[in-house]
Amino acid sequence: MPDDTPGDPEVEGSDPGLALEVRGISRAFHGVQAVEDATLEVPPGECHGLVGENGAGKSTLIKVIGGSLAPDRGTVTICGTPTTGSIPRAQAAGLAVLHQEITLIPQLDAAENIGLGHAVPTRAGLAVDWPEVRAHAQRAVDRLGLQIPLDVAVGRLSPAMQTMVAIARAVAFEARVLILDEPTASLTDQETVKLFDVVRRLREQGVAIVYVSHRLEEIFELCDRVTVMRDGRVVATDAAEALDVDRLIRAMVGRSPERMFPESQRQPGETLLSAHGLTGERVEGLDLTVRRGEVVGIAGLGGSGRSELLRLLAGAQRPRDGQLRRAGREVSFRSPRAALKEGVALVPEERRSQALVLTRSVAHNLLLSDLSRLGGWGGLVSKRREAERARGIASDLQIKVAATRQNVQELSGGNQQKVVLGRVLSREPEVLLLDEPTRGIDVGTKVEIYRLIRELADAGRGVVVVSSELPELLGLVDRVVVLHEGRVTAQMDADGADPEVVLSACYGRTR
Amino acid sequence: MREPVVVDEPAPAVVERPRRRVGPFLLGYGTLLGLVGLMLAFGALRPGIFLSASNLRNVLEQIAILGIISFTQTIVMVVGDFDLSVGSLASLSGVLVATLLIGGTSLPVALLAAVAIGLLAGAINGVLVAYMRLSAFVATLAMMTSFAGLALFVTNGSTLFGLPEGFLWLGQGRIGPLPLPVVVLATVGIVTWAALGHTTLGRRWYAIGGNPEAVRLAGINVDLVRFSAFLASGVGASIAGVILASRLASAHPTAGTPFMLMSIAAVFLGMTLSKEAQPNIPGTAVGVLILGVLSNGLNIMQVSSYVQQILTGLIIVLAVSLSGLAQRVAR
Repeated sequence: MPDDTPGDPEVEGSDPGLALEVRGISRAFHGVQAVEDATLEVPPGECHGLVGENGAGKSTLIKVIGGSLAPDRGTVTICGTPTTGSIPRAQAAGLAVLHQEITLIPQLDAAENIGLGHAVPTRAGLAVDWPEVRAHAQRAVDRLGLQIPLDVAVGRLSPAMQTMVAIARAVAFEARVLILDEPTASLTDQETVKLFDVVRRLREQGVAIVYVSHRLEEIFELCDRVTVMRDGRVVATDAAEALDVDRLIRAMVGRSPERMFPESQRQPGETLLSAHGLTGERVEGLDLTVRRGEVVGIAGLGGSGRSELLRLLAGAQRPRDGQLRRAGREVSFRSPRAALKEGVALVPEERRSQALVLTRSVAHNLLLSDLSRLGGWGGLVSKRREAERARGIASDLQIKVAATRQNVQELSGGNQQKVVLGRVLSREPEVLLLDEPTRGIDVGTKVEIYRLIRELADAGRGVVVVSSELPELLGLVDRVVVLHEGRVTAQMDADGADPEVVLSACYGRTR
Repeated sequence: MREPVVVDEPAPAVVERPRRRVGPFLLGYGTLLGLVGLMLAFGALRPGIFLSASNLRNVLEQIAILGIISFTQTIVMVVGDFDLSVGSLASLSGVLVATLLIGGTSLPVALLAAVAIGLLAGAINGVLVAYMRLSAFVATLAMMTSFAGLALFVTNGSTLFGLPEGFLWLGQGRIGPLPLPVVVLATVGIVTWAALGHTTLGRRWYAIGGNPEAVRLAGINVDLVRFSAFLASGVGASIAGVILASRLASAHPTAGTPFMLMSIAAVFLGMTLSKEAQPNIPGTAVGVLILGVLSNGLNIMQVSSYVQQILTGLIIVLAVSLSGLAQRVAR
């Protein structure tokens, strides 16, 4: 494959051989150049990876391609039709964009969702021809080689199934260009495998696919070519075979990845928190110890009980049975508040729905767990002191904010996650329970969070990390505990642990 | 203190902000412009009458009761609920004070009893919503009905007259140039404004309105904080009820009824003044003023009270749709 670099010589007219042709796109917001002279070419039947750190301009570029954002300069051409800045023209030309948050109507079943936007087939022009609605949906599903229950409200389907329904919807529209934005963010490993099958099938059918993901292994597994963005520019486009993870990261961050994971001192001290026979809805009879100075990793598939385990430890959910000991004393946390008082803090899995108050400022979110130190219960707050405290935490964690009174919703995912971490650390907990602390955030921030976790352990805290990214888990933690269907199937030192062994244990097989 | 994390070459955070446009500005301040426009219009239609100092003082006096209820209603709405029982609670508290005073109870004791009934009613609402997890709609609707029934039961449906002179001063007296109800209104306004904007409790109220689950996981006693909002609204309604009875020199078992819907309308009007479409005290004050100016101005123009009611309904629709628009623009 030739190396396409930005700033190609001026091409008059479009190349009819391309499914998607994005040429010289620039777009600025308030003087900040979000995308600068970006060019992207995807022929039919190619899966094209698009990677870059948060803030590199991927989202802006996708919005421009989708037509919801008009570029300052440049053109978008889909299957030979110029569509710049128009959603309906882009759709008519064969574009479908699947955003992270799937937009389906939860009360309607899959068949109806797939049929949305098409003329409703009727009998005698009156009654809805339901068999035809279903057949129409079934044809789309068949092209994907899938089994989807068509008669269940999609709100009751798993996130993976909903993704499939959304893709089937795109297929029903005869989409020639499909953009997938972080489609695996909420999928388990098995579901991801299924999604990949579907994407490959579409590629064989000649659909051009733009695949955006922070999970670089996925890019290598799936994509033919990869485009890397940094600071709003396309810095490289190359065949996937010509690249490896290190080179990709170097291109994304503009520096060598050094060591992503900091060195462990591996000298765990006394037990800070232990669970015996802990039982919840999924977790059953589970034992776990967290010691001073160590990072414990919890591996497991979605639904294995890994998140519930953290919620049980943090008082967010009441256990049905079992015993908790904090520094040797038996404790029972009635609420997250009680756990925090005992120095046990949780960073929950879902940043937006479980951790942040999106309508409020960065300062408000940062200091939420520590309000009593800003004043008494109902006591007056000094805005100056509040801002100082918030600024202090923000600069400690290098949170990039214009001002701490800025709305937290305006921050990138990585900075939002740091706000959640900053809030938790403001209570100076001894035991930190982190559920997917790096989900959906860019590589640079990931590395910062890895270092922070290690620093906290070195400073005498005990940390438990749940992550569905195995390389991350093995690189970051000292000890791995593997869960399968609520029970521990394996426990081992992370140093030298064989990823295959861990993965087998995730599927319930022990060697 | 930990050592700050060192990163080389931090990537610039590109923050997308909506462009500044005239539309959102008009939406954001449209309500305020509406108030000014309304006042100028009435001033022009009835020159020298509407904008006279005595009439403006009159407007303030007329809105005092609605204002007190609306300020404490704002707190409940900040938490994401609303309190439908405030109107009948105001009636109940007025009836209670009147009954006690007519029965010979001393003024301070009667006033304390009114505040106590407000706290008790707020506590009942709070327990139902925060601890028994009824929806605020169901719980406060039920309590609205019961409080109204209680007020009718106590008075046997009749209006109570013959209130002592000292009590009437509360609703009709003056401190300097200011009518006493206006002084109470200003006090409640300042207290609720400070509580919402400048205390840790206010931070908790707003946070719970935004995302209760996140607040619970952040270690805050969500139930207790939500409960406290209903306490505030109960006290506000009972204070308003006392002043209402004093102003009318009588206690009627349904006198407070209109204030429920009007207070919610005032808060909605005020939400249009917030960028995030959240309830806030200055906004509520503007909302109350709009409703008060509208009523006073139309009275001066001798528009029938029936037509006034039609217009008030339309204003509520306008408020709800405006605050919805403002919210969509903020996203």
